[in-house]
Amino acid sequence: MNLSAAAHPGFLSPTGVEITFVLIGLATLGAALLTVTTRQLVHAALWLVVALGGLAVEYLLLTAEFIAWVQVLIYVGSVVVLLLFGLMLTKAPIGRSPDADSENRLVALGVALAAAAALVWVVVDAFRTTWVDLHGVAQGSSHATGESLFRHWVLPFEALSVLLLAALVGAIVLSRRDAGSPGGATTGAGSPADSATGKEQS
Amino acid sequence: MNPANYLYLSALLFTIGAAGVLIRRNAIVVFMCVELMLNACNLAFVTFSRLHGNLDGQVIAFFTMVVAAAEVVVGLAIIVSIFRSRHSASVDDANLMKL
Amino acid sequence: MSASSVHSLWTTAAPVADKFPTPHIEYAQLSPVLIVLGAAALGVLVEAFLPRRSRYTAQVALAALGLAAAFAAIVALADKGYGTTKAHIAAMGAVAVDGPALFLQGTILLVGFVAIFTFAERRLDPRAHGNQVDSFAAQGSAVPGSDQEKAAVRAGFTSTEVFPLLMFAVGGMLIFPAANDLLTLFVALEVFSLPLYILCALARRNRLMSQEAAVKYFLLGAFSSAFLLFGIALLYGYAGTVSYSGISSVIDGTAPMNPALADTTGNDALLLIGLAMVAMGLLFKVGAVPFHMWTPDVYQGAPTPVTGFMASATKVAAFGALLRLLYVVLPGMRWDWRPVMWGVAILTMLAGAVIAVTQTDVKRLLAYSSIAHAGFILAGVIATTPDGISSVLFYLAAYSFVTLGAFAVVTLVRDAGGEATHLSRWAGLGRRSPLVAAVFAVFLLAFAGIPLTSGFAGKFAVFTAAAQGGAMPLVIVGVISSAIAAFFYIRVIVLMFFSEPKPDGPTVAVPSLMTSTAIAVGVAVTLVLGLAPQYFLDLADKAGIFVR
Repeated sequence: MNLSAAAHPGFLSPTGVEITFVLIGLATLGAALLTVTTRQLVHAALWLVVALGGLAVEYLLLTAEFIAWVQVLIYVGSVVVLLLFGLMLTKAPIGRSPDADSENRLVALGVALAAAAALVWVVVDAFRTTWVDLHGVAQGSSHATGESLFRHWVLPFEALSVLLLAALVGAIVLSRRDAGSPGGATTGAGSPADSATGKEQS
Repeated sequence: MNPANYLYLSALLFTIGAAGVLIRRNAIVVFMCVELMLNACNLAFVTFSRLHGNLDGQVIAFFTMVVAAAEVVVGLAIIVSIFRSRHSASVDDANLMKL
Repeated sequence: MSASSVHSLWTTAAPVADKFPTPHIEYAQLSPVLIVLGAAALGVLVEAFLPRRSRYTAQVALAALGLAAAFAAIVALADKGYGTTKAHIAAMGAVAVDGPALFLQGTILLVGFVAIFTFAERRLDPRAHGNQVDSFAAQGSAVPGSDQEKAAVRAGFTSTEVFPLLMFAVGGMLIFPAANDLLTLFVALEVFSLPLYILCALARRNRLMSQEAAVKYFLLGAFSSAFLLFGIALLYGYAGTVSYSGISSVIDGTAPMNPALADTTGNDALLLIGLAMVAMGLLFKVGAVPFHMWTPDVYQGAPTPVTGFMASATKVAAFGALLRLLYVVLPGMRWDWRPVMWGVAILTMLAGAVIAVTQTDVKRLLAYSSIAHAGFILAGVIATTPDGISSVLFYLAAYSFVTLGAFAVVTLVRDAGGEATHLSRWAGLGRRSPLVAAVFAVFLLAFAGIPLTSGFAGKFAVFTAAAQGGAMPLVIVGVISSAIAAFFYIRVIVLMFFSEPKPDGPTVAVPSLMTSTAIAVGVAVTLVLGLAPQYFLDLADKAGIFVR
């Protein structure tokens, strides 16, 4: 923590932080709602980008710089791109798909409302009166985060590397096609397309 | 600054994601909703980290992001492989098994 | 001196970074985990660099050696007293090395070791183009029934990657019951879940069903881990830390409080909702009602060796984590969580037993029976006495080998389409191959909890502990649902021995030494734990103290 960070707790005044929070928060909520309700599958992914980007800004407001940039890099940069690739590879229809939602809409709505009520109530109950002094030191620089990471969280970090390796191997097992099966690839790619279109028409 | 506002946002995002998982039929969109839920968790972690004045929450948020990335890799591999043999990524079409 | 003062005229000294203290890692005490994960990483290298022909042998040997070495390390640690007197928290507070952790890790390693044999079995399926084949797809990416798959089968491909994946899963399961903070818990959960999702999708026969099982398991698993994570977030908000001892001292009110946050840390609603969500994630892995919906589908669709491994090892790991959470973090909140867990246990026992009666598929039947057993184990968990811990440890050890053995027997009964899992196909099996039917009957009797089997000793220990812990209604429900469960186990035995075999019935494949060993180990453990349980009960008793 150097002194300059303490002198300038953030890049915005307290009121500025509040206003930005409200604006970005509403945008994030709206984008999230659209993600789960839009009938165009590709749009869902694009709205997800907006929601995730909004969250990155919220992290910045919470002075979590490192997390904010990692959010942009990992989520917006790679996860959503992967999801879009996934939509592409599974030939998601462009445009409205009539069967995007399942029938249990009301059930889901009920469950969601109950869960939201419970969680919001918990927050109201616990944090109604809590205030955080914005003039405290800014935390969450990559220096501080890194130090905490490698001082206290070494074992989970190593477990994380194992996790990445396992995911890598697993994904390769499921998707690698070996050479030595000539012609197989083309028939494999051709037939789903045919019957997929057949399915949409039916 | 009242941290409760951030927590409201987080709770609402979480429930929106959960509702999405229950509503949507396309496996990839269902998975997007799960990502939304994980992000809601991250927002809660970062807010609590600010609240308690220690960095644990931010470190956990970082871990969550990496875990989410690994999950996406595995999930898409599975979903694409089932699509290739089934020609459909709909959760409801996947019902060879009777109850 | 002067040089430095001159120097400072035109430069400001960069702030000397505080000396970064090296984290203290007890490698010796973590050796079981490190050996298993090291073997997994070596397995990946084997996959990359060895020619296809020699991979199978190398992988099986490597995996078996790794698990055996890790088990030896566990025994050595226990011998040195890390399970009792020297129990402590290792790796900067991330994992605990104590009795329950070592006991459960030992169980998981033995289960994994036996599972290797069922994974490696290559004599059950008829030879395809002169190559021996195992239960896993020739090539995971090939569309079932396509030319590509036929080419892969013709070329004799096999998915030897399943062995490193199994090792990764075992490694995660070793960390899971020992995790001493919520973050390690979450990461370990994902480390063992992701390989299992993949393994589920790799069946050689019935690939469509297997892939469907994988999708279901994956989506529901991700959903439940999101709940777990939000629960962790709430607990972190409550206590300001994720370490078990930190949270429990905040609950007890012994932690130094930040006055500004007194309201927050004193808020029980936050704690209880957070706890409920974390428990939800763990109960999902255990397969307790109402989070059991995935169990039958996934158990049915996954390749049977994987099902056997998953049904036994995942339960051991997840119950271990649940025990640690409830006994280390929340003893102070006992009166709040016990009623809820009572409800879950009762629902789980009854639903598992009742729905199992209506099943017509052997694998689904075993899946519902595993749900019922999760309920019985929960009854022991709820006891909140030292006896509760040791009885659960014993039950898990006994149950996991019965399950492994039962699923191994399921792989033997086959017809043209692979395994014949429909119950009607098992009619008259006792006439056709008495040995296999008898072995399966032993496992079913152990599931039912008939005396002289390990199932009886386990159930007796769990119910005694629950009764002493003041959960008498739970014991009564447990006995009733045991009786219901016994009905359908006996029904299967009657079906096997007292009905006429059908002319086109399934054949019983002659297994190689691999599956025979696995089944023999299952029978041996079932009988030994049933006839002379005392030594193992004492062992579990000695291991029954958590370190905090």
